[in-house]
Amino acid sequence: MMPAPSAYEGKFALVTGSRRGIGRLIAEHLLEHGAHVAGFARGEATIEHVNYTHFQVDVSDAVSVQKGFASLKKVSDTVHIVVNNAAVLTSQYAMIMSPAAALAMINTNLFGTFMVSREASKMMRKAKWGRIINIGSMAASLEPIGDSVYAACKAGVSTLANVMARELAPLNVTCNTLGVSGIKTDMLDQLPEDKIAAVIASLPLPRFAEPDDILNVIDFFASERSAYITAQTVFLGGVN
Amino acid sequence: MLDKNAVQDIILQGLKNINDERGPDEQIQIDLDTRLFGTDAVLDSLSLVSVIVDVESAVSEASGRDISLTDDRAMSQTVSPFSDVSTLTDYIVLLLSEAP
Repeated sequence: MMPAPSAYEGKFALVTGSRRGIGRLIAEHLLEHGAHVAGFARGEATIEHVNYTHFQVDVSDAVSVQKGFASLKKVSDTVHIVVNNAAVLTSQYAMIMSPAAALAMINTNLFGTFMVSREASKMMRKAKWGRIINIGSMAASLEPIGDSVYAACKAGVSTLANVMARELAPLNVTCNTLGVSGIKTDMLDQLPEDKIAAVIASLPLPRFAEPDDILNVIDFFASERSAYITAQTVFLGGVN
Repeated sequence: MLDKNAVQDIILQGLKNINDERGPDEQIQIDLDTRLFGTDAVLDSLSLVSVIVDVESAVSEASGRDISLTDDRAMSQTVSPFSDVSTLTDYIVLLLSEAP
């Protein structure tokens, strides 16, 4: 069942990596259901909507994140929902993974998630309400060859959410992780088709994720009724 | 630039914000000697974090300068800036007196 068109009325959401892929999907879903949405991404906006505000922010750069939040505060004095989606992926055997590519993943996928959560939780503190949702990956559980750093980062965002869940619980802020399986995006297109096909075939539910599979869990974590759901990682497709 | 009194007011306001969130029986006494950190501190850890966030943000807004109260320098002061309201005031005034 889809949420009501006004399910996010009055809510201000921040989605990182909102230009494409899962980030764009989630941002458009929230907009469609009444939220005001801010997007953080390195490039220019790809979403045109009266309730969408785009900020060119590189989440891997602490100064850029802080400037982004300074600009965001001119638009809204609080953020209710944060979706930490921005991520980069280089899949390669560790022995030949370039240090620069490894560091880029750590900085964007893990440090960026930390920085955005850090700044957003300061704003949520005053409203005494918040939902922080990290986008994880099945890679954290399946630990596929080539994804040493990516999988470690995605395991890291779950742990990050779990610890912040404890810190922010008194403020009525929940922190959870959605472990996405394979969904056809630009990021997945970087990987060899046969490798992806083999991974998908090994899942208990051996198919790609559909957009609604992702949005269903986002709605669940973000809902008012999920106030007692925190420090949880929900994997799609039967990954555990 | 913010003077000492203005900085003090910002810190006191940060503590009042904590009291606003507490019940009548949990109010903390607020004055220049209010202990912020240490064994006889009146704040729990999350309340101290809240005060720090409020103070950093208010000082930044009022002075146009970003300050950090939790970096290595703050933590390595001989007298902790968080001993009480007076020491925190002095530390912030020191930070603001330095070139940006």
